[in-house]
Amino acid sequence: MRMRHSVVAALAASTLVLAACGGGDDDGDGGGSGDASGPGMINFYTDKGAWEPQFLEVSDVSETSLGLGLDFTGYSDAEQYSAFIRQSFRTDEKPDLFTWHTGSELEDLVAEDLLAPTTDIWQDAIDNGDVPEALREHFTIDDEQYCVPMNAAYWVMYYNKALFDQYGLTEPTSWAELMTVADTLRANGVAPFYETNILFSFVWFQTLLAGTDPDLYTALSTGEASYTDPGVVEVMEQWRGMLEDGYFGDPGDQTAPQDQLKNGTVAMINFGTFLSGQLNSVDMVSGTDYDFFVIPNVNPDLPQTSLIFETGPMCTAKDAENETSALQYAEWWMTEEAQTAWANARGDVSFNPKALVQDETLAELNEQSTSDGVRLLERYFEATPTPVLTAALDGFGAFVTSPGDPMPILETIQAEADAYWAEQG
Amino acid sequence: MIARILRPAVLIVLGLIWLAPIYLLLVNASKDPAQYAADQVWRPIGDFALFDNMREAWEIGGLGDAVSSTLLYSIVGPALAVLIGAAIGFAIVALRLKHGFFWFVLVFGGTVFPLQMILMPLFVGYVEAGVYDSRLGMIAIYTAITVPFAALVMRNFLGGIAHQVFEAAVVDGASTWRIFWRIYLPMSTSALVAVFILQATFVWNDLLLGLALSQSTEVRPLMTAVAALQDTYGGLQLTAVLAGGLLVSLPTVVLFLSTQRIFSRGLSLGQF
Amino acid sequence: MSAPATAAPTTPSGSAAAESRRRRRNPYGWPARGFSVPAVLVVAVLLYLPFLWTTWISFTEYNGLGSPSWVGLDNYRAMFDDPNFATSVRNTLIWVVGSITVPVGLGLLIAVLSFGMRFGSWLRLPFLIPYAISGVAVGVVWRFVLQNGGGLSQALDALGLPGADLRWLSDAPLNTLVMIAASAWQQSGVIALMYVIGLQSIPREPIEAARLDGASGWRMFRHMHWPMLRPMTTVVIGLSLVSSLKTFDIVWVMTKGGPGRNAETLAVTMYEETFVNSAYGAGSAVAVFLSIVTFLAAITYLRRQLSSERTV
Repeated sequence: MRMRHSVVAALAASTLVLAACGGGDDDGDGGGSGDASGPGMINFYTDKGAWEPQFLEVSDVSETSLGLGLDFTGYSDAEQYSAFIRQSFRTDEKPDLFTWHTGSELEDLVAEDLLAPTTDIWQDAIDNGDVPEALREHFTIDDEQYCVPMNAAYWVMYYNKALFDQYGLTEPTSWAELMTVADTLRANGVAPFYETNILFSFVWFQTLLAGTDPDLYTALSTGEASYTDPGVVEVMEQWRGMLEDGYFGDPGDQTAPQDQLKNGTVAMINFGTFLSGQLNSVDMVSGTDYDFFVIPNVNPDLPQTSLIFETGPMCTAKDAENETSALQYAEWWMTEEAQTAWANARGDVSFNPKALVQDETLAELNEQSTSDGVRLLERYFEATPTPVLTAALDGFGAFVTSPGDPMPILETIQAEADAYWAEQG
Repeated sequence: MIARILRPAVLIVLGLIWLAPIYLLLVNASKDPAQYAADQVWRPIGDFALFDNMREAWEIGGLGDAVSSTLLYSIVGPALAVLIGAAIGFAIVALRLKHGFFWFVLVFGGTVFPLQMILMPLFVGYVEAGVYDSRLGMIAIYTAITVPFAALVMRNFLGGIAHQVFEAAVVDGASTWRIFWRIYLPMSTSALVAVFILQATFVWNDLLLGLALSQSTEVRPLMTAVAALQDTYGGLQLTAVLAGGLLVSLPTVVLFLSTQRIFSRGLSLGQF
Repeated sequence: MSAPATAAPTTPSGSAAAESRRRRRNPYGWPARGFSVPAVLVVAVLLYLPFLWTTWISFTEYNGLGSPSWVGLDNYRAMFDDPNFATSVRNTLIWVVGSITVPVGLGLLIAVLSFGMRFGSWLRLPFLIPYAISGVAVGVVWRFVLQNGGGLSQALDALGLPGADLRWLSDAPLNTLVMIAASAWQQSGVIALMYVIGLQSIPREPIEAARLDGASGWRMFRHMHWPMLRPMTTVVIGLSLVSSLKTFDIVWVMTKGGPGRNAETLAVTMYEETFVNSAYGAGSAVAVFLSIVTFLAAITYLRRQLSSERTV
């Protein structure tokens, strides 16, 4: 008994000792400026915690070629992450480099003058041909650029090649062909398309609307059009028809999309190109087990093919401890060297057309995306103001779970949109 | 006679139901990722790959880095909390602290605040106080967060000890500290241990505080690395995620197993 | 570890006469304060102080950046006007009722059945393991079990039972009910453990006396053990009350609040407002409301239980 208590006492005492020597303030590793011993380290924060190995791979490259490396801190929870970054601006722990979102999230930070501008970096990168001019507007607020693109992804249709071969199907080039493919699958008891009621519930709304009326899609995100407009209602009705006729897998199935495609639970997944990395991780081989195609427009009369893209920015806080090095790193990130390393580490496309993407189909898409026949549209998730998005995700989640009259849902979203745009003046 | 068979029978049947999800966890964590199929979760198909999966999670997730710091937090935080909780329980019950109920409610009231909402002010406060991303800071918050629970349990448990015990010790000339340390604490071993293991498990599994209050590898607790094994943006295969989750649960499972003896003592109630 | 097998001796409540004598003047005022200071201090600084900030934020409009602007009671008004708020309150109430009946009942059953039995503590282990398993693995496993056509549906189908086509996590209030079951799976063992400690501290003498009088089985439990377990019941229900009002993790992990927010609890509403919408003021208002409700519920319950047990 005496022994037990002395153990407790010893533990309590050891607290102070261990606490005193371990951890502490991290004033030792900050720098990158004039530190002779090894490469300088930049504090790097991201909500894509699962990408740590890939970020560190690129960091290895930068340590040799740039003399700067990433001190990685990953979050697995996007919401906690956003709150952490927001609050960190009040403190002395401002992040040197961090991933963020375009759209209203970015505007929030710029409105409070919290970011270091990157206008010069952008100009150089565009002059070098490292980044397409078209991307710039998403990083521009009041004629200044902020952040650099961390990644880019296009939303395409992945499919299970074995299933396509089994039923003698080929990649469709028109919406009608796509529907024929889907009907064949349906007739054979295979759910054609993946659907989920969590987070990515907006994907088919985005595809159907962008492929039917891209102008309306854009107008919706700027508040110029209403969710109750006939065009939007029509798209919802089309979606509802597809849901009711069994074109989709079970939206309540929380099995990861890559597993659903692998198992043949669904034959096709409408997803961002980052799914390639996830498919590779479940041992599916690009071109052999899976492939993808650009989703044809619903409306065949449109002059350009609507292609949804997303880009996540990498930003530097104004007055961060290593602001200069961080901006240097951001500049390097856009280069061919960095983007080749990044795209191949991730198994994804790159915004830099010069990057050597090993995956052939991805490389092809990389080129195709800059051609005239394609109209790039920002992903719904970034294009929509946060409160409107939240209401929309809730509404779409309920809609795909229990399809019904879309009007009440659209009215709810529009009410949120009205409130938002009224506040914006 | 019937009761002698019925009691274990009911427990065993219930126990098997309770173990069904654990079975799913084990079976699927042991599957070869290439052979894993979502529509066959119940069946143990394919090669036994539990250890490969664990190794993958351990290495890619970098779980090893965080084990020592997390161990420190889960032992020291709850140990301090149990003592602090027992101390106020002792003050209220044995020393008849004035307005005891008020002070007790004040301390217990610490649990009513939703943890998510104090993260941000804590983060800012920690940075300003210079304890952000330090082990001292982590221990402090883990202690604080477990004190209300410890206080409630210990206050009620110590309340079961007759006041005559205290009086007798006073007559013997013992100091209050000595009575607390030598009489009351030893008499509440099982409650102390129960609170300790429950709270140690809580701290070991904490993700939120770890995310908000730490940044460097030496300070960040284990679950921040575990949670990053898989998220919306991909990550490891499900089999490896499960194996990783299982692996990091081993210490707490062992803790529960090794303390069972303490809870097996007691009066037989064979008559039920 | 070796410790005396005799738990707390003699009866829980001291004699009333001795008590009133002592109440006149307390010679241990200063030591009592000394013993209380650490608990009060640590809780006040690390839990109350941060929440004070949250309370202030609830009267402002704030997106986490810049400085909050005072809006008075606007956030509270908007909260009560929001139709989703009613859903959250309803779901939270279901959680409270579910959590203070199902896991507490099961925990008591497990404790009483296993207590004093040979290998009883081993039979209790299956119920404790869920608590020891890390949340990440538990979340994945329950998704296996509860998703449409998942483990539970497959099992029901194989056993020829109805219900295989139910959409466990999609339809309200079914999703809340199955999540309560999942949470009972995690909590029952812990509650059983608490009750075991309670049973251990029951003194031997009155039980033996009752047994000599011929009491046994249900009557013995009802009239002897149950009243003596009351302090532990207070602890268990008090804790379940508080934690169920704050239910968040499981709902968020399994459903993000459910399709169309139909499984949302108050804590989920609070989280969504604050962290998803970055409407810190609105989220804080929900948090303050939730904390006040929780505090009042806890204090009312504890006051009744503790004061009837002994005046302190």
